[in-house]
Amino acid sequence: MKLPQLFVTFALVAGSAVHAATTIVRGPYLQTATPTSMVVRWRTDNTEASVVSYGLERNELTSSAKAEGIGTEHIVQLTGLKPNTKYYYAVGAAPVPPPNPAKKAAEDAPGRAAINSFTTPPPVGPAKPTRVWVLGDPGTKNATQMAVRDVYYKFTGSRATDLWLLLGDNAYPDGTDADYQKAIFEMYPQTLRISPVWSTLGNHDGKSANSITESGVYYDIFTLPKRAEAGGVMSGTEAYYSFDYANIHFVCLDSHDSDRSAGGAMMQWMKADLAATQRDWIIAFFHHPTFTKGTHDSDKDSDSQGRMNDMRAIFLPVLEQAGVDLILTGHSHVYERSWLINGHYGKSDTFNASQHVKQKTNGRSDGEGAYKKPRRRAPHAGEISVVTGSAGHAGSATKPPPLNHPVFYLSLNEAGSSVIDVDGLKLDFVFLNEKGEKRDWFSIVKE
Amino acid sequence: MPRRGFGLAGTLCNVPLVRSSILRPVSGCFDFAHLTPRCTALACALMCVTVARAHPEIENGLAELNPRIEATPNDAAQYLDRGELYARHADWIQAEANYLRAAELSPRLPGLDRARGALALRIGNPREAGGHFARALALDPRDAETFILRNRARVALGDRAGALADLQHALRLIESPRPELFLERAALIAAARDAVRSLDDGIARIGPVHTLQLRAFQLEESAGLIDAALARLSVIAAQSERKEIWLKRRGDVLMHAGRIAEARAAYGAALAAINSLPAWLRESPDSATLATELARLSGRAS
Repeated sequence: MKLPQLFVTFALVAGSAVHAATTIVRGPYLQTATPTSMVVRWRTDNTEASVVSYGLERNELTSSAKAEGIGTEHIVQLTGLKPNTKYYYAVGAAPVPPPNPAKKAAEDAPGRAAINSFTTPPPVGPAKPTRVWVLGDPGTKNATQMAVRDVYYKFTGSRATDLWLLLGDNAYPDGTDADYQKAIFEMYPQTLRISPVWSTLGNHDGKSANSITESGVYYDIFTLPKRAEAGGVMSGTEAYYSFDYANIHFVCLDSHDSDRSAGGAMMQWMKADLAATQRDWIIAFFHHPTFTKGTHDSDKDSDSQGRMNDMRAIFLPVLEQAGVDLILTGHSHVYERSWLINGHYGKSDTFNASQHVKQKTNGRSDGEGAYKKPRRRAPHAGEISVVTGSAGHAGSATKPPPLNHPVFYLSLNEAGSSVIDVDGLKLDFVFLNEKGEKRDWFSIVKE
Repeated sequence: MPRRGFGLAGTLCNVPLVRSSILRPVSGCFDFAHLTPRCTALACALMCVTVARAHPEIENGLAELNPRIEATPNDAAQYLDRGELYARHADWIQAEANYLRAAELSPRLPGLDRARGALALRIGNPREAGGHFARALALDPRDAETFILRNRARVALGDRAGALADLQHALRLIESPRPELFLERAALIAAARDAVRSLDDGIARIGPVHTLQLRAFQLEESAGLIDAALARLSVIAAQSERKEIWLKRRGDVLMHAGRIAEARAAYGAALAAINSLPAWLRESPDSATLATELARLSGRAS
């Protein structure tokens, strides 16, 4: 054999060997969950086909779905699913035969052909006990992020996380693919495989993403419902969107890189979306807080180029008019939680508790009592605003942030994450710090 | 992956044009020996500026970039990165100084002319921006973002035809454009029917997005294309779980067109839609107000 032929043969053999060793390097992770469909995504180190095998029993993955073509980024949508139903699934290049029951794989075992599971969302409308994990600014990749994560895992135990929200700045410093790999995919692999994640764009994510052409890392990684696949009104963009889960309507806004003007497309869409919903609860989330005196200052117009001011002065009145119940934001690396408030759209020195606080209690069922709102959709009935942007780190301990915005009942310079439990007409909220302490809690009850 | 500089939508649509209060001295950032007279003057001017307050994100970014620039002072891409960091925080002078340095080192650096053009546009100099964008497109004629930016520069210069051509080009290059771009294009088209056609083109590409449908409806209504407007409203209503608002709008359009019986029917349908809501929604203040209004309008139409 001549040398060039030998080289070609060697290359082919080597190539085959590499192909045979293809492994999953990201995911699988779940996106755009609806009662009847689920998007499953993963990445392999080599090009191959995209197939998801799934079924109602671990050992009977009798259905399969595939995407056209081959690649390393795999996006497969499962359709025709039953609502509120547990499915087992495995990803790979071809339909996977069910494993030998004698070798039952651990649910969170990594690698190809591992069998994972998810539960489809329930039918839209009727209530179902729902747990939501909320992570703001998590992506530091450091011990604090891990501690916050582990505290939640211990807290939730065997209780499933129905969905989780990322409030932006998911991967520091620049939201690159490598940043995301470490800060999200290697940080939360277990949760990614079993619980759908929904995200909003933060300023650090924006460094590697281009919202105007909707391209770049953030838009490549997430599959979000631009065509109202999961409920709500069609936005036509992944930058802002809405979705329903049971009796909750979630509204995701882009406070970073979309037009925030009163006449802009995002506002036009949001008004129509809010007017259309029939869900009991409305929860809005976006990156830049309407109020904060943490590591950012919502009183300063120059801070974040006026984005916080825009969200407070332009979007908050419309959200309140529509009867929003809870507003979740990050950006400021602290925890700040308001009273039940309404109608405060100015700087902190214009805040007037007698005018802007609907119920000046701590909202705790075991304290001064839960916040009460009428069930009938009432404009300006009050909402709780929560800045929970410390899932990756808190503000400086040596030069602590002022944390003195009067709109807040409680402000903490502590790392942690938040948990929402909705059960019918009751919403319970908890903030867990990185030490595992329940540092704040409140409830809203609709009557 | 696109190189990021500005948050273009935010930067160009609605963020107030303010000079940053976070100016920093150039000292420590530049080797002055390498600067052109223009850049040196700019840098010297900056030496007089007192540090007001640095944003932590800039500080963190500079902490990462400055050592890299010190290690490789002739790497133009690093200056572009630093310029973009400043631009993201509206520090236009520092951004320009860094872009100038990058241009000296590598005039054809990918992304540089786009960044310089975006900066010029941002500070109100669309003519200069247009020059930068032309150079950027000569280097990369498939750069959709630059076409979008040049369209906006041309709008600022009153060149609507040129702007429209640029936007058309960008829309052809982007696989799944955002609705804002179709709205932007429709705004450049004077004739209502043509503008509606352009929106319908967008709907064909990205789906019956609410904002596109709503704008098309408004154009059709203002142009007296009543039946088209009514058909559009039907599509909008079909996408909404709560149809009463759109049915009332239908009644209003018909009333205005003198089609009284149809208007009455539309108002009646809106009332029926309210009555079919669950009690907790039907009894909400908004629904009650709308029901009262519909009853009044139905009376007028009878």
